[in-house]
Amino acid sequence: MLFLIEYDRSRGEIVTFRGFGGEESRSAEQARLEMELDLNRRGVEREVVLLEAENEEALRRTHRRYFEDLAQLVS
Amino acid sequence: MELSKTQIDRLGGRLRKGNITDSDLRLLDEYRRSFTAAYGIVAGGIRRRLELEPTGRPAKSTTSIAEKLRRESIRLSQIQDIAGCRLIVSDTAEQNRIVASLVELFPDNTVVNRRQTPSHGYRAIHVIAKVEQKGVEIQIRTTLQQLWAELSEKLSDLIDPAIKYGGGDGATKRFLTSASKVVARQEATEVILLEAQNAASGLGSDSALTHQTIEAIISGERHVVSSREEMIQMLHMLIEDAARLKQKE
Repeated sequence: MLFLIEYDRSRGEIVTFRGFGGEESRSAEQARLEMELDLNRRGVEREVVLLEAENEEALRRTHRRYFEDLAQLVS
Repeated sequence: MELSKTQIDRLGGRLRKGNITDSDLRLLDEYRRSFTAAYGIVAGGIRRRLELEPTGRPAKSTTSIAEKLRRESIRLSQIQDIAGCRLIVSDTAEQNRIVASLVELFPDNTVVNRRQTPSHGYRAIHVIAKVEQKGVEIQIRTTLQQLWAELSEKLSDLIDPAIKYGGGDGATKRFLTSASKVVARQEATEVILLEAQNAASGLGSDSALTHQTIEAIISGERHVVSSREEMIQMLHMLIEDAARLKQKE
């Protein structure tokens, strides 16, 4: 699966999160580009990243920084 | 039509300066998509041949690319981690085994051993596999290396982006350095433990084990547990300190 994440670094929080099926890679890449264009035009600083994982649980295990706060990271 | 190296590096120059336009974003997107096939080969190869499940980032984010260009005297065409994936393993012995398998699977490779040469406390092993003229970075991290890296990144997000690259305030830097040393000690203990276990298995039966070997195994196992606990305690202190720093802002 593919996951498109819009992440606010200064708040350490996900703003938007969207999943795509493995066969939808072109749609996912297009969605990433459109999101980046929109944020850039509005002058909003966000990290936009497209990640691939077997499922959301696997993604949450290997990219905890996006999903957890500091205390959760070491719990 | 494929972008020329000149076009790519000119784009990198504009990204470094900031004020990114729509056409720059579209061009960067095109460049990043040129890694998709190579990424698919690498991630697919890991799944099929090694039966492992990597988590991948088919393309580095614009923010991270622009930051890297500003931080380092590097051209866009030289960035080696445009596409990459990550494998989390239990310990250094498994890390070594997987690195050896990856090197065999992707013969055109570069191994960056950040256990031997840590980068601002960051420890891991990266294998950069070159397929179809494109580099794909495979990060192999133990669970403790991963915990350290996630924490360092989160602190960089919340407090100061420089933290991840050895900057930031003194207290956070000292804590991350100390935590990284605990991880290194844990790794050294794992090596001793593995050697003792190998020696023990070579001796055949329990009765043949020398007192010294048994002691080495017990002591090694204790060290593995205690250094993990030490690291967790240290990280809790770091979090309290980070919360204090955030309140001051």
